[in-house]
Amino acid sequence: MSPSRNPALAMAALDDQVLAIPEGAAPPWWGRAIACTASVTALGFALMAWTVYRGIGVWGNTSPVFWAFDIINFVFWVGIGHAGTLISAILLLFRQGWRDAIARFAEAMTIFAVICAGIFPLLHVGRPWLAFWLFPYPNQRDLWPNFRSPLVWDVFAVGTYFTVSLLFWYVGLVPDLASLRERARPGWRRGLYTLLSLGWRGSATQWAAFGKAYVLLAGLATALVISVHSVVSFDFAVSIVPGWHMTLFPPYFVVGAIFAGFAMVILVLSVAREALGLQAILTWDHLDAMAKVVLGMSCLMGYAYLMEGFTAWYAQDAHLARAFGNAVTGQYGWTGILTLACNVAVPQLLWRRAWRRSYRVLLPVALAVTVGMWFERFVIIVVNLHQDYLPSSSRPYVPTWVDLGILAGSFGLFFTLVLLFVRFLPIVATSELKARGDHA
Amino acid sequence: MREAPPLLRTPPGPPQPPLTHPWGACGLFEDPGALVEAARRLRGRGPLEAYAPHEVHGLQEALGRKAPPLAAMVLGMAILGAAAGFMLAWWTTAIGYPLKVGGKPEGSWVPLLPVVFEVTVLFAAGTAALGMLFVLCGLPAFGHPMLATRAMTAITRDRYALSLEGDPGACAQALREAGATGVEAVHLACHAPKPMITLAAAGAGAALAGLLAFTLVKAYPELRPMVRMERQPRVGPQAPSRFFADGRAMRLPVAGTVARGHMPSGATTEAEAQHHLNPLVPTPAVLAEGRAAFTERCAVCHGALGDGRGSLGRAYGAAPADLHTDRLRSVPDGHLWWVIRKGRNAMPGHEADLEGTRVWALVHYVRALQRSRHALDSDLPEGNP
Amino acid sequence: MKRPSTIRALALPACAALGALGSLGAWRADPPRFWGAWITAFLFLQTLMLGCLFQPALEHLVGARWSVPLRRVPERLGTLAWPLLPASLLTLGALGPLYPGWPGTGGKAAWMSPGAMAFRVALAALLCALSARILGPRSGSPAGRSRFAPAFMAIFALVLTQAAYDWVGGITPAWYSDLLGVYLAAGSFLAGFAATTLGTLRLRGQGRLPGLGADHLHNLGAWMFAFTAFWGYIAYAHYLLMWYGNLPDEAGWYRLRLEGGWLQISQALALLRFGLPFALLLPRAAKSDARRLAWAAGLLLGGHLLDMAWLILPSIGLPLRLGWMEVSVGLFMGSMALGWWARADRMGADLPEGDPALAQGLAFRL
Repeated sequence: MSPSRNPALAMAALDDQVLAIPEGAAPPWWGRAIACTASVTALGFALMAWTVYRGIGVWGNTSPVFWAFDIINFVFWVGIGHAGTLISAILLLFRQGWRDAIARFAEAMTIFAVICAGIFPLLHVGRPWLAFWLFPYPNQRDLWPNFRSPLVWDVFAVGTYFTVSLLFWYVGLVPDLASLRERARPGWRRGLYTLLSLGWRGSATQWAAFGKAYVLLAGLATALVISVHSVVSFDFAVSIVPGWHMTLFPPYFVVGAIFAGFAMVILVLSVAREALGLQAILTWDHLDAMAKVVLGMSCLMGYAYLMEGFTAWYAQDAHLARAFGNAVTGQYGWTGILTLACNVAVPQLLWRRAWRRSYRVLLPVALAVTVGMWFERFVIIVVNLHQDYLPSSSRPYVPTWVDLGILAGSFGLFFTLVLLFVRFLPIVATSELKARGDHA
Repeated sequence: MREAPPLLRTPPGPPQPPLTHPWGACGLFEDPGALVEAARRLRGRGPLEAYAPHEVHGLQEALGRKAPPLAAMVLGMAILGAAAGFMLAWWTTAIGYPLKVGGKPEGSWVPLLPVVFEVTVLFAAGTAALGMLFVLCGLPAFGHPMLATRAMTAITRDRYALSLEGDPGACAQALREAGATGVEAVHLACHAPKPMITLAAAGAGAALAGLLAFTLVKAYPELRPMVRMERQPRVGPQAPSRFFADGRAMRLPVAGTVARGHMPSGATTEAEAQHHLNPLVPTPAVLAEGRAAFTERCAVCHGALGDGRGSLGRAYGAAPADLHTDRLRSVPDGHLWWVIRKGRNAMPGHEADLEGTRVWALVHYVRALQRSRHALDSDLPEGNP
Repeated sequence: MKRPSTIRALALPACAALGALGSLGAWRADPPRFWGAWITAFLFLQTLMLGCLFQPALEHLVGARWSVPLRRVPERLGTLAWPLLPASLLTLGALGPLYPGWPGTGGKAAWMSPGAMAFRVALAALLCALSARILGPRSGSPAGRSRFAPAFMAIFALVLTQAAYDWVGGITPAWYSDLLGVYLAAGSFLAGFAATTLGTLRLRGQGRLPGLGADHLHNLGAWMFAFTAFWGYIAYAHYLLMWYGNLPDEAGWYRLRLEGGWLQISQALALLRFGLPFALLLPRAAKSDARRLAWAAGLLLGGHLLDMAWLILPSIGLPLRLGWMEVSVGLFMGSMALGWWARADRMGADLPEGDPALAQGLAFRL
């Protein structure tokens, strides 16, 4: 920080830039955008309602592909969420200063992605109003969930993940909500911000406890985020389905989640910084750092694919070899090739610094990774399931338009929530940037 | 850099004497260094608190305070969470509801660890967040006197402040001497803060909505689509069907179907039956079953000893067979089996009443009765006088 | 003044000679037992060396500053790759007695043949030596190191995977697990950070690292703490999946390690590599306390040695023993490594004085 600059003035400028977004009138593009996303969301919810009313027979799921779009989308969205936790927690512990400007946005994306993810297991159980049966509570039927089932682990893992992400996000928001409260004119917004900021007054006692809690939450969230996607991987790996029972799955799933999540953060943040004029706060350095993470994760994914292919050969097991053959040849071969191309080949473009700092390369790469990671889960779930040990029970899987509509609806929901967040809450953690003192 | 807009909040009007009473004073500082310096100077002059738009390192030390005990709280709750998670998962799998799945030992710790870990993190993170907000920070505190000051707007923006509790005039003087600007008196309001009432109303509303939803689900389990799974499209007994050629929904079993638990018998004539061997081994359990069947079905005519002198025969002058005759002792087991099932003379067939292998158990018991009248020395238990 | 230094100068060669003699005897007397001990010691040193080289590579890759002042310690430890080059060629002697190969003539038989394995081992050793040369204390251009860092990450992954599949998995060729490379890497991180911690504490004790504060130590402690948790995670995930799948050709590997005396050793391993260091390093203050750090690092290094024995010996069908054969091999390998360390300790300046980031690194505060 140069001595000539007045820090107080810079802090005020930061507030005026970031906190003014929720205060001003909605920009014209915002209304158009949310109309688009909300109508896609409405379509998705209508199809979900249809699914609940008619039963999951309206989906393409069939024997032996009992898990299809519902579980693919669940794994996909949970994975998207992990980048947010990684940015806000792990990078905080590593004292990577560049995370401060993007952490709030990424945390919000985590919460929205987990909301999207949570919908799918709920629909998957078929009778969502009885989903509470998954929780262990004394009941008159004297039934208890099976704690050795990874599906029950999922309930605990995703439930804890959502709760802790929400707490982490909210704790960080409280001081900024207090700033909004002080800036707001009397009216419903002021009332809302007053309520949400709980009467925060920024006293030394409060800041000391806040700082301590933030570091502790970061440490806990780091361990949590690794455990959550590992538990998701256990859904597959504890079974003995060829292609699922791989010991590499837990770390491989975690890496894949971070990979897809960072790509999504790049996509959304690029649009947000242009639309909201935040180029000075969310700089190319941030996008460059995230592109490097994507590249690193892409290399780790390459290692994982290499190990899986090698192991399928090394095991000398006919079923395992068949499962991996199905992934790259035959009816679904194109999905495996697409996965490899999008996840390993395309991100190698990011080795060049100039390309990491150009929307023309960065955005297509991030989009490719998003597509590739969705198809990776398709390969893992559908391609491995459609042919099992018995040749007689092989059956191809074709999604219905309901499947596709609900997938589109989940994207609509995600972007609707992002747009609402951008409009009503501070999208940059101003109090953290103020503490760093090198903003603006 | 844009011009900072004027402060949006209007300063509070003059304090109303019956509604507020004096609390202290507060004043502003330009930068964290001045704040820490002033905090050191004013320490011990009364209850002192510092305010900042972000965490200022060294401020707690300047105020003479220790670090908050959050880490210890979190550790304690983490241990509690681990114990609770383990007890819940272990009790359920090992004691409360043991399930045999995949040949795994019921009380094994291995598959419980994910749940234990998640519950531990939930307890620890919940303590870190809620313990910080509600215990260490003393929130929600909508009625705190500092919230009604002009300084609060500046604090949450870019200024640093100190507040001193006590007589407002004296406190303001002390703050001014320590270098504060914009010093103002702080008053405590004497009515309940509005947000608290809103929060209580929201809580009550949520509880009411939950109760309503619960009642609806409990009271109307038959609402479509929430019907029970037993209510599904199906055909009733003897209903017509357009699907099958004969127009009936109910179907007969495919020819040659064998029901579970029913041993098929190849014998269709008495002559064939003679060659059937008794498939059962005469264990005490089988003999007990045979005795039960005999007492239930046979003894009333043939007599409890099988000598043909049952109570029914005597009452009606009938002559049931004596099972101890040489003829009946020498016939093969298959003959007895056929006669018991199909009947003979006045004796009805018992096929419909004696299911499965009970007939064969009965045959064993009849053989035991016959043996009892023609016992050999070797049948006696050894060692008895 | 002269005599003690002469004794000290002679002690290491004497130990090495004694160890070499004993090792030779062991090799003649009981080849499987000798090679079991030898591979344990070899893998211990190789993974430790890789874990040490990983640290400067990571620093160059992410542009870390805090670790610049203590970078010489892992750089010097990483030069162990040089003496390990001949050692890995010697280790090829174990191929006959311990590594059965794959029957038949297919691709896997060729892959597991002694020739192919020797090629991979030699290639891995060469790549390690090359990495130690480029990342080592005497290397010149900083730009070259930064450029080499991503390549080293690939080398790190491939060499550890090769060690996992060849040296560990090769003893039981029908058994496979694609997590084993990651498991070995987790142990390698731990061993590397533990060795760096001990080395840093020693140099600091000798006053050779002026300006190195408690905050630097705290970061070392935090890394060890993080990687004990990572090791626990990987070890548990590996065990859970095999336990749950319960497939005869997989679970047998763990069954060997949960029966007889190995059960207690498996439990001790969980304590040494995860339980005790985790508890020891959990409080914030402990992470910058030199005594506690030394204890944790010592436990972790002991645990790493035990871990390597745990990976190798049960598959051969040997119990854990500490007889004259094991002592001889340990004496030989240990004194060779310490002898090399005595040489490496003087390579380059104690602080990387030419590094432009040194001032920033020394100024690092939490």
